[in-house]
Amino acid sequence: MDLAVPADLKREWADLQTRRQFLGRSGKVLGWAAMASLLGNRGLRGDTHGSAYGNQPGEALKLPHFAPKAKRAIYLFMSGGPSHVDLWDYKPGLAAQYDKDIPDSVRGAQQLTGMTAGQARFPIAPPHWEFKRYGETETWVSDLLPYTARMVDDLAIIKSTNTEAINHEPAIMLMNTGNMNAGKPCLGSWLAYGLGSMNDNLPTFMVLQTKLSTKENNQPVSSRLWSSGFLSSEYAGVGLRSSGDPVLYLTDPDGLDREVRRKMLDAVNEINRQIYEELGDPETNARIAQYEMAYRMQTSVPELADLSKEPTSTWDLYGPEAKEPGTFAYNCLMARRLAERGVRFTQVYKRGWDMHDNVTGILPLICGETDRGCYALVTDLKQRGLLDDTLVVWAGEFGRTVYSQGGLSKDNYGRDHHPRCYTTWMTGGGVRRGITYGETDEFSYNVVKNPVTVRDFNATILHCLGIDHNKLTYKFQGLEQKLTGPTPANIVPGLLA
Amino acid sequence: MSSGRASVKFFPTSKTTRVLWAGALAFSIGLVLLPWGIKLDGQTHADWEQFLGRFHPLVVHLPIGLLVLVPLLELAGRRRPALREAAGFVLALAFAGCAIAFTLGFLLAYGSGGAGVTLSRHMAGGIALTIGALLCLLARWSWASGASVQAYSGLLSCTLLALVWTAHMGGSLTHGSNYLTQYMPAGLKRWAGVSEPTPATASFYTKHIHPILDANCVGCHGEGQAKGGLRVDSYDTLMKGGQDGPVIVAGKADQSMLLTRVTLPTDHKQFMPAEGKPPLRPEQIAWIKAWIEQGASPTVAELQGVSRGDERAEAPLQPVGDYSSLMAEIRQMELGQGAKLKQVSAKPEDGLVLFTVDVAPSFGDAQLAQFEKFAPYIVDAELGRTQVTDASFDTLKRFTHLHALHLEGTRVTGNGLGKLAGLSELNYLNLSGTQVGPETSAGLKSLKSLRHVYLYNTPAAGNGQQAAAAPRSAT
Repeated sequence: MDLAVPADLKREWADLQTRRQFLGRSGKVLGWAAMASLLGNRGLRGDTHGSAYGNQPGEALKLPHFAPKAKRAIYLFMSGGPSHVDLWDYKPGLAAQYDKDIPDSVRGAQQLTGMTAGQARFPIAPPHWEFKRYGETETWVSDLLPYTARMVDDLAIIKSTNTEAINHEPAIMLMNTGNMNAGKPCLGSWLAYGLGSMNDNLPTFMVLQTKLSTKENNQPVSSRLWSSGFLSSEYAGVGLRSSGDPVLYLTDPDGLDREVRRKMLDAVNEINRQIYEELGDPETNARIAQYEMAYRMQTSVPELADLSKEPTSTWDLYGPEAKEPGTFAYNCLMARRLAERGVRFTQVYKRGWDMHDNVTGILPLICGETDRGCYALVTDLKQRGLLDDTLVVWAGEFGRTVYSQGGLSKDNYGRDHHPRCYTTWMTGGGVRRGITYGETDEFSYNVVKNPVTVRDFNATILHCLGIDHNKLTYKFQGLEQKLTGPTPANIVPGLLA
Repeated sequence: MSSGRASVKFFPTSKTTRVLWAGALAFSIGLVLLPWGIKLDGQTHADWEQFLGRFHPLVVHLPIGLLVLVPLLELAGRRRPALREAAGFVLALAFAGCAIAFTLGFLLAYGSGGAGVTLSRHMAGGIALTIGALLCLLARWSWASGASVQAYSGLLSCTLLALVWTAHMGGSLTHGSNYLTQYMPAGLKRWAGVSEPTPATASFYTKHIHPILDANCVGCHGEGQAKGGLRVDSYDTLMKGGQDGPVIVAGKADQSMLLTRVTLPTDHKQFMPAEGKPPLRPEQIAWIKAWIEQGASPTVAELQGVSRGDERAEAPLQPVGDYSSLMAEIRQMELGQGAKLKQVSAKPEDGLVLFTVDVAPSFGDAQLAQFEKFAPYIVDAELGRTQVTDASFDTLKRFTHLHALHLEGTRVTGNGLGKLAGLSELNYLNLSGTQVGPETSAGLKSLKSLRHVYLYNTPAAGNGQQAAAAPRSAT
């Protein structure tokens, strides 16, 4: 205050200062009250980042609610809506129905998408590929999935998954966050928030995107899907890039060694701490935690991405393309490595399943790209003893219509979005293996037995991880928010071991 | 001691007292004989009986409060005699309350077809309590007329004990018999001698059918009350059926009334579970149906089309001891070592998991040895990719509740695995990527409880490339 400032301005500034301080302080008190109600009473956070913020066992730790079967989960998300008709839901009667109209009684009063609503007729397009029986369970699987077919005895195949959304964005949001509208935390964030980290040197929740292989059908996926919503942003998914450095700016620039970076971080953290003292915004702490995480990732990520010590059996299993970052096979291998390193939740995104036309042209490409990786991942986890306590989920956001969108020929057809039934699978910790759950009608159009809603699906995933979906809640906008939303959800006991 | 002159005025002659005692005796005998006169036959009766009876829970708390008030007033009366005078009045009200509550309770039990041990006990308690209150009343009058105080105080104490017991039985009826003990701390449970439900042997009935019935049906068809004469809380009573005959006909699902009643339309009068309780889930109905159709056996472990052969019974986890006093040390350990001890779940008795993944490069036998203090509480030791060697078995053998042991990618060669033979709960052992050789199979065989052994990428797995998840061979 050595500047020559007019006295009245000084007085005004002092007035403002006190008022600001008063408001700031009350904000801080409110913030602490909120923190206390969040952490103290419910103590949801396992622990996150180092001892400074760590939570100790038994110290208000209320999660998992019961002893979990799975400590971690890997979610292979097939964005676009894989065709259950061509891959899983074998209906031998369909071949004879070629080019016949699907009965109105089956379709009912369903509202269709704008893409097929105008069609004069809805001709049935039987799958272009053969189905065969595999495994001791004699499960029908399409010729498009020769690798996955080898492990059917280890899967719980759900033919009765159904969703309320008919278009990609709401349907993907619903699968990932339990709500069609953006802004809610996704499954991975809920898990990170509820269960905390097993490894302080890596994020609790990681996201792996698969490089695009075709130019068609690629519905966008965006960070909304791994957002932490109203939860603290330290629970958001951390992406590994598919090319170049797995995490940007992780390597120190020339001339800056780790010691200097440490000093820089200490200074920044100190400033952030002061800001937090002043304003009490928990997001400031999230930022401190993320800076620290990035610092630790400087050593943990290079070790993670270094595949040179993988035995040759790994490449035999995953295939040579697993050496190329960004491929689906690479991401599956990386998912296994993340599981080994105690990452709670890994979500792999694969786009390209949205086939409104040219199914016979594209579906084999996408299947060829993903089939072996899925098999390799499950098999690898199993042989390494990780499948006992790792949950693996394979799912898209909806299925595809049995009738053709656009022209139908013996060689090609298109399929529109189909929310009423689609096939998903899960395996691993807590899941009953070698079962098919739920049934659809002879047109693979409606669920006739044991429907599984998205809510039930997510509730069951949480159950495998030791979480009661009704108890993992967070107060926001006056509601006890939860992943499965306000509509009652049920775990599916038939899927559980 | 004031002698309650007002009472003396009301009951001046000993003849009146004798008549009153005789009347009370007759009333008591009548009350005691009532359950033999009108038997609780498990059938539902007139609607008006149930209508009135349902006021029982409302009325019943009144005499409880009044009875508890009586000794307080008597004691307080030593200082303020007016309170003692009130005690007589309150006692009279309490008796009236007991009589009304008992009447309504009896109507409820008789009208709604209640039966069962807990209900009988609750009713006996109600009778004892009503009689007790009446005798207290008379004893108090006698005391006021000059008799000794002992009879009154003794009777009052007994009546209060009867009150506690009766109220507990009543609570068990409405909330279930384990309502109080369910969330009792483990230490208190042991002290109180409350037994944990013993883990059932793994037949399909105990694993799937009994839990469904237990969660959905036993409230009305159990030990507490056996509506319609039916109890489903044990296999024997389930097969015995109710007053209308058996509810399960082995091999014939369509003739089994239990299945019929749970599959009726939910708005049907006979639909079960009754009274707006949630219907059974489709899978649960499917399990019950399959179980009946395949013989309704109490011992068969698997059913065709329902459970698969690869489901192996796993030893139930035993609760670990109380480690709450070690909390501070556990925290200290984490700060010093970086390795974490986390609770498996919100229930402390599920034990602790030892996580070492973030300090694996610096975590060796010496670091592990420092966790010996917590050994009996650790059920899962995640030592994968740490620097531990065969010397770790000397520490690990003290992890008496160890359920899962992760040693993948460590320097362990398996020499001395036999030291773990005493770990009776060890179910999972991961040795993948270690130098464990074929000669360790003897050590493995001594670990009797193992169900999951992983030897991937080890010399023991042959050429080292084949998956060696061979749980069966290890048992």
